[in-house]
Amino acid sequence: MTHELPPRGTPQDFVRPFVITGGRTRAADTSLRMETMVQTVGKPRDDLNFEKARIVDECYEPISIAEIAAGLGVPLGVAMVIVGDLVDDGCLETTDPVEIELSTITRMIERVRAL
Amino acid sequence: MSGPFESADGRGAWSASATRPPRPADDHAVPRARRVSSVKLVVAGGFGVGKTTFVSAVSEIPPLTTEAAMTSESKEVDDASLVGTKTTTTVAMDFGRITVDDALVMYLFGTPGQERFAFMWDDLCDGALGAVVLADTRRLADSFVALDYFETRDTPFVVGVNHFPGSYHYPIPEVREALGVAPHIPVVDCDARNRQSVKVALVTLLQHVYELRRAALVP
Repeated sequence: MTHELPPRGTPQDFVRPFVITGGRTRAADTSLRMETMVQTVGKPRDDLNFEKARIVDECYEPISIAEIAAGLGVPLGVAMVIVGDLVDDGCLETTDPVEIELSTITRMIERVRAL
Repeated sequence: MSGPFESADGRGAWSASATRPPRPADDHAVPRARRVSSVKLVVAGGFGVGKTTFVSAVSEIPPLTTEAAMTSESKEVDDASLVGTKTTTTVAMDFGRITVDDALVMYLFGTPGQERFAFMWDDLCDGALGAVVLADTRRLADSFVALDYFETRDTPFVVGVNHFPGSYHYPIPEVREALGVAPHIPVVDCDARNRQSVKVALVTLLQHVYELRRAALVP
């Protein structure tokens, strides 16, 4: 006799998302955006909690905070807080927004045309 | 370079994948940050106008979303009967990605599907290079919120007129007049299901941004 699992998305599944961040809804670093690129730096550490360790593992190739949020299945605000913590911890680096030059837009146009 | 995960619905994609990415074996294997930059483009428009379809037509990853899908209860509120077979919509951002080269990635973000989520648009649009506003000729007024928004913010935008099966094909000049957009704003036909058509809309936006920026450089 097998017990059927409750369907996903039932109230029993619900955990308040900002539990992970200790209730903080804003990252200390307010310059973070959903498209900010994040990359793991420094040596691997074993003292990180599940979400942090997962982010560090996934970011050896640079990805955006939005992709981290989608990957973990957490709201964007949660991802920003955790990423901000990891930057403070020296585990991640973020890329500051660059000034978009005309030559950059030309590169983008060529790339889209080549799709 | 492709995304490290894939997911049909974009929810919690990492938990769905059995394998984790390889961890460098020693300290020396950890690369210095490669300084990859990103550029954000926004795809806006009314409920069910085809924003997610637009993103998926050109994205190198299946569109991801950071929030849950909307429940069926909202159908009454959103009048989904007008949008045919659409059964889910986004309450948060759907986004896709196009890698330009080693140093630059483009992200395409769809605005939340309903006007009541317009409070999220500032976060979404801060720093955006430009926007494509999708319009459905059966419900042109649905795109007015997005048009007003980008006009007020001085965010460069173009209008893509999405054609739905069975809808009358209005000539672009008529649509332009009905939308009341300024003469310098490009308005193009755009079938969000068609990759080529979406590429044309994106190139039109990028060229528009290019021209505006070039004009701003001229003293």
